[in-house]
Amino acid sequence: MSAFLAHAGSAVAQSGLLPEGLNVSFKALPAVLVTAMLLLFLVIGFVFKVADTEGMWVAGRSIGNVENGMAIGANWMSAASYLGMAALIATSGFYGLAFIVGWSTGYFVLLIFMAAQMRRFGKYTAPDFVGDRFNSDTARAIAALTTFLIAFVYAIGQARGMGLVGLYIFGDLGILGLTGYQSMVVLMMAITVGYLTLSGMLGATKNMAVQYVILIVAFLAGLYVVGFVNGYSTIVPQLEYGALFAQLGNEFSEPFVNGGYYLWIATAFSLVVGTCGLPHVLVRFYTVESERTARWSTVWGLGFILLLYLGSPAFAAFGTDLYANNIGPVYGDPGMTAAAGDVIVVLAAQLSNLPTWFVGFVAAGGIAAAIATTAGLFITGSSAISHDIYKNLINEDATQRQQVFVGRMSIIALGVITTLAALDPAAPIAALVSYAFSLAGAVLFPMFFLGLWWENTNRQGALAGMTTGLVIWTIPMINEVMPNYGLLSGAAGSDGIVSAALAQWLPAIGSALVAVPVVFAVTIVVSMVTAEPDLETKKLVRQCHSPEPMSQQQSAEDVVSSDD
Amino acid sequence: MTDNNTQDSTDEPTAEPDGGAVAGAAQAGDSTDYLTSEVNLLKPSTPFMRDHLRIIWTGFALWALVVFGPVTLTAVIPDVMTSTMPVIGFPLHYFLVSIGAPGGALILAFWYARKRDALDDKYGIKHATDGGVSE
Repeated sequence: MSAFLAHAGSAVAQSGLLPEGLNVSFKALPAVLVTAMLLLFLVIGFVFKVADTEGMWVAGRSIGNVENGMAIGANWMSAASYLGMAALIATSGFYGLAFIVGWSTGYFVLLIFMAAQMRRFGKYTAPDFVGDRFNSDTARAIAALTTFLIAFVYAIGQARGMGLVGLYIFGDLGILGLTGYQSMVVLMMAITVGYLTLSGMLGATKNMAVQYVILIVAFLAGLYVVGFVNGYSTIVPQLEYGALFAQLGNEFSEPFVNGGYYLWIATAFSLVVGTCGLPHVLVRFYTVESERTARWSTVWGLGFILLLYLGSPAFAAFGTDLYANNIGPVYGDPGMTAAAGDVIVVLAAQLSNLPTWFVGFVAAGGIAAAIATTAGLFITGSSAISHDIYKNLINEDATQRQQVFVGRMSIIALGVITTLAALDPAAPIAALVSYAFSLAGAVLFPMFFLGLWWENTNRQGALAGMTTGLVIWTIPMINEVMPNYGLLSGAAGSDGIVSAALAQWLPAIGSALVAVPVVFAVTIVVSMVTAEPDLETKKLVRQCHSPEPMSQQQSAEDVVSSDD
Repeated sequence: MTDNNTQDSTDEPTAEPDGGAVAGAAQAGDSTDYLTSEVNLLKPSTPFMRDHLRIIWTGFALWALVVFGPVTLTAVIPDVMTSTMPVIGFPLHYFLVSIGAPGGALILAFWYARKRDALDDKYGIKHATDGGVSE
């Protein structure tokens, strides 16, 4: 894997990312499609607009299993699912499956340990949960900082995806002497921030269900048509690609060629715990009527996610075969670049000689996935700054207006730093997004898990644990990712990594495998040697596990305080 | 919310030092007061929690097998695991990981949600009732 990432890195340095074989030119119909899609989201948001934020959450509580399941699916599936997963399966073979497994099976852990309890706790952002559970503004600030970092790192992958797919739709614009890819990143991020300014005021969950439908239709239509016109498959491409294994080459399926067993497990584990620690997943449990709905909508959500995930390896197989027939050998030197891999879904449609509008539709689905997820991440990240850090720590008397101003500024700041970091991205989409999962898994997951399942977890334990998690996550990021941005590049070897031994045992892509046990141990030990939390806090935790039903609008806090 | 250093270390949940004072009117008729029962993943303190955790741990063990079992077997006995499956043509390990693991997680999720609903029934939990232990 490290060799693979280095390959990606060197491709960046020379060309500014140009997927070989992709038809780069301005195409009117696909451009109209993307615009129409974004307009549709805005219109639906406008139709279902609710008066104020309070109204939005309360109204949101009426949402049922299936619709919330779709919202989970739409919120979840970004460019990393739509483009990045097929990319890693195509270029890294069996290792790429760690992403399918990690990003889907984690929902089961979320379901059995956390979904209903989170719903009962009634806090829907990570800083709110951590701040209230551990009675600490410092803990809240660390959680807010982590949330902001997750939004930033996660969005870099989305920007890369939009930039690459944008090349197919809008062509090489060459803004301000930037390369075609870089111009596209700037353009697409500008569109995203603009979309966010408009959509921030509008209804959310109705939109999510529509976004899910568009995304899944675009993906599955692409998969079925590509499979059909090339004679690969008829009605179940998800199974029929099995017949292709013989001609795809050993590299497609041979285990542990790109990354060994340890890296595979580390990656899958990180993605699983990251799933349970991601702030924007939690929000979805706040909008349901009861914890029973929280549970069943998780089941539905996983089902809706699998509709895409089971098709992803099939798409990768078709794309790989088409690439080999039309462009050149997929594996070996030079082989398929990471950039081409990241657009394999679009490339497969294009190489099947399908009409431009159809390829554009498949591409537009990827862009919609990226923009919707980025918008959600930026809202979470900016509210962490404006609400949890600015209002709670810096200026307690902040007016509504000041808060909104800080919130807008942080969205713009996020847009700018994400764009800058995405101009020369360190890794393929799925790997970039995995860094955010490692962070969520290392810092937030242990707090959620211990906070909900062990009432004696206290403030000191949480502070020590979160700090440890942040440190363990940062070390491999400095070791592997920073040299790509010029920091420590002198110390790094030709593969862009400072210490290869460290990268082997503490890979940035799967650092949560090491971090989670350590953070658990630190949190538990520190909690045991310091004073227990007060009774009020313990009751809060007990209320989360009580089987007694709570009314729709209640949080654990309401129940506990009304009880005294 | 400010940092609060006053901690109540005298609270021993099993001893119920508060004498059940928190068992207010809302819980009248219950034989279990969930607000006085300790929450500890490894030491379930109420019959409901014991039953619930039995389901959770069973599900978790099966999940770990489904998710990490095939890939581990592939590392241990690669020859057997990479053999080609009849009819569908997948190498066995590829099928078990790409379809078996996610599909298995979905089936387990469905199983858990059903089990948990059954548990609600056992403890007489409905939205309109005040709940309570039936045994």
